[in-house]
Amino acid sequence: MPQIPIIMPQLGESIAEAKVVNFLVKPGDTVEADQDLIEVETNKATMAVTSPCHGRLEKLTVQLSESYAVGAVLGQIETTQEEAVRLGLDVPGPVKTSDTDRLGKPDANGGKNRVQPTVRGLPVPANAAGASYLSPRLKARMHELGLSAADLAGIPGSGAAGRVTIEDFEKFIAHLEKQRMSQASTMRVTVADAMRRSWTRPIAHVGLPVCLDPLFAYRKIARPKPGPALCALRALAVALAENSAPAGRLVGSKIVHPSSIDIAFAVEAEDGVFVPVIRDADKRLLKDLIAPYDELVDLARSRKLPPDATGGSIATVTNFGTFGLEWATPIPLPEQALVLGMGAARHKPHWDGVKGQFVPIMEANLTLSFDHRVLDGGAAGRLLQRVSDLMAHPEKL
Amino acid sequence: MSITYLEAIREAQAHALRDDPRVFIYGQDVGAFGGAFKATKNLAKEFPGRVLDSPISEDAMIGLAVGAAIEGLRPIIEMQFADFSTPGFNQIVNQAATLFWRTKVPCPITVRLPVGGTPGSGPFHSQCLESVYAHYPGLVVLTPATVEDAYSMLLEAVAIDDPVIFCEHKFLYYHLKAEKLPSEALPVGKARIAREGRDMTIVAHGAMVQDALAAAAELSPEGWEVEVVDLRSVKPLDTDTVMASVARTGRLLCVGESWPWGGVTAEVIARVTSEGYGLLDAPPQRLNARDTPVPYHPNLWTAHRPTTRSIAAAARNLLRI
Repeated sequence: MPQIPIIMPQLGESIAEAKVVNFLVKPGDTVEADQDLIEVETNKATMAVTSPCHGRLEKLTVQLSESYAVGAVLGQIETTQEEAVRLGLDVPGPVKTSDTDRLGKPDANGGKNRVQPTVRGLPVPANAAGASYLSPRLKARMHELGLSAADLAGIPGSGAAGRVTIEDFEKFIAHLEKQRMSQASTMRVTVADAMRRSWTRPIAHVGLPVCLDPLFAYRKIARPKPGPALCALRALAVALAENSAPAGRLVGSKIVHPSSIDIAFAVEAEDGVFVPVIRDADKRLLKDLIAPYDELVDLARSRKLPPDATGGSIATVTNFGTFGLEWATPIPLPEQALVLGMGAARHKPHWDGVKGQFVPIMEANLTLSFDHRVLDGGAAGRLLQRVSDLMAHPEKL
Repeated sequence: MSITYLEAIREAQAHALRDDPRVFIYGQDVGAFGGAFKATKNLAKEFPGRVLDSPISEDAMIGLAVGAAIEGLRPIIEMQFADFSTPGFNQIVNQAATLFWRTKVPCPITVRLPVGGTPGSGPFHSQCLESVYAHYPGLVVLTPATVEDAYSMLLEAVAIDDPVIFCEHKFLYYHLKAEKLPSEALPVGKARIAREGRDMTIVAHGAMVQDALAAAAELSPEGWEVEVVDLRSVKPLDTDTVMASVARTGRLLCVGESWPWGGVTAEVIARVTSEGYGLLDAPPQRLNARDTPVPYHPNLWTAHRPTTRSIAAAARNLLRI
C-alpha cells in the first residue's frame, strides 16, 4: 500500500515556514481527500494543511508549537494503489543529497533485458520501426563502412518490430572483425551491386534440351568454325528480331521495345565477368560474326575492352557449359529481362520413334532466366523453342 | 554539517559582498526581513548599507540595477518570484541585454529568479522563464540543479561582466542538501554528466535533473542504464557535452519543467538533430509541462508537469524503438 506524504504547502506568497498549532486528526483515522488535518500558523494567519488523498493517517512526524519549512513532510497517509494512480500522485519521497559523486554502475551481470520485438499498442513514432527502417545513425555508419541495405540481410533486429538497432549493427561488425577478412576487388563489388539490383525483380527460369548434332555437323565443314554459344547468340538475335517484346523493358505500365538487337555475351575474367556486345546481331550472318566475336573474347580476357564494346545490349548469352555445368540459373543484368544460358554438350540417349530405339545424340541444356514482370513461362518457352529450332539449321543462321 | 540549496545561495552572496565592495543586493524585503525565502537572512546586519529594500516595482529594480552597473557597481537583484520579473522584462531585455552592444559599457548585473513550481503555488508563482530570457542575445542564463552549483555558479554570475539571469529553483531550496560547499567547480557554460549511462541520454536542467536521476534509478533494475546530463547553464548551452553523450547512447530525451513551445528542450533537440543527425538511432523526444497555465490544485499540478514516473515512462517508450 503506497504511503503519500503530507507536505507543508506554499501557504502564501513569501511564506517560508509555519508553526504547527493543532492536530485535527490522529494516527489511525480514516481521512478524505482535501480534509483539514493540521492547523498551522504563519505570521499572517492560521490555516489548515489538507489531505492529499483518501486513506488512513499512518503517522504524523511533526510536533506541536514547532515550525517547519514549506515543503517539509508533516506525516504520511496510507492509501490504495488505485487511489494514488487516480490522483496522479507520484509515490516516493523527498529528494536526498546532491548527486555529484554518484555514477551509474554498469549492470552487474553484464547483460540487459533486450526490447521485445513486437510492440503492439505502444506509441512508436510512425515509420521508426520494422526491418526496413534504418535510423540516421545506422545509415551514417553504413555509409562510413560502404555498406548497403543488402548487407544487413543477415542481421537479426532487436528493435521495434524487428528493426536493426545501432547496437545490433555494432555487435555484427565486431563479430565480423574477429574473422579473417580480405579485400574484395572493385569488379567483385560492382558485380555484387548489379546482381543485388537485378534480384529486386521477380526472376524465373525455364529450360530446354537442344540437340547439337546439326551444329557439330556444320562445324566439320564450316570455315571459320562458329562456337555453340555464338550460334545460340545468333539464333536468339533472329528470334528477338521476329518478336522483340520478350527483351523489352517494363517501366511502370509501359513496355519499352529495343531499338536494335544488340546481344551481349559473358566472358569470364579473374574475379568477375565481362559482357561485350555484338551489335545488330540480327543483321549479320553467323559466319560474319565469328571474327568480331573472337576479337571481343581476346580483348575481354586481356582486359582491354574499349568502352563502346560494352553496354546498351538487350539480352545476354552465357556459356556455363565451359565450366562443365549441365544446368544453371543465371541472373539477368539489372537493365535486361533475359539471359540465355547454354550448358555443356553431353552424349545423351534420344528416343527415335522411327527406329523404335534410343539413339545417341549430343545434347546441351538451353536455359532462359527472365524478368517475370515482362514475360511469362509461355512466352519464355516459345522463345526457347524458337532458338532451339533455329539452332537445328545452323547453315541458315 | 549539511547545507541546503538556499543556504548555499545565502553563503555565495555573503562571500560576494565580502570580497567585492562593488557588490550590493537589492530586492523586496531583502533587508531586515531577510528576503521572502530568507535568502538574505542576516546579510543586512553583516553588511550594513549593502543589502537594500526596494519598492514593489520590478521595472524600477532592474532600471536601478542597470544604472548602478553603468556607475561601476555590481548589483544582485532578488526577484521574489520569476513570474514577477515580467514587469521588469523591458529593462532586462532591452536595457541590460543590449547595453554593451550599444555603448561598449558592460552591464554586470545578476538577477536572481526563484523559478519552478511547488505544490499549490499556482500560475503566478511557478513559472520557469529560462527559455524566454535565453532567447535574447546578451543575457547569460544559469540553472543550478545542485547545492554546489547554486553556490559556485552564483559566485561566477556576480563575477561575469554580462547580465546574468540566475534561475534558482524554489522546490530545491529546502529539499536539496549537501555536506559542504565546493572549493572548485565546472565553469559556467559547461554541462555536467550527472549520471553515466549507455542506453539513452536524458538532458535536463534545474529541479528536473533530480527527477531525471530518480527515473534513471527506476530504470536501472530493468536493465537500462540511462545517462543524465545536467545542462547547468541554459545559455551558453554546452552543445558539445550533449552531442558527445548522444554519440555514446544514440537516443535522446529532453526534459523541461516549462512549456513545450520554444523551450530549452526544443533548443537542445534542434541542435542535436541539425548538427548530429547521424548520431540518432531513434527520433529525439521531449517531455515538458502541459501547454496550459500552471494549475493551483496540487493534484492538477502533479499531472501538469514531468515527474519521475512520467520521465521513466517516456524513457521506456524511447528505449523500445
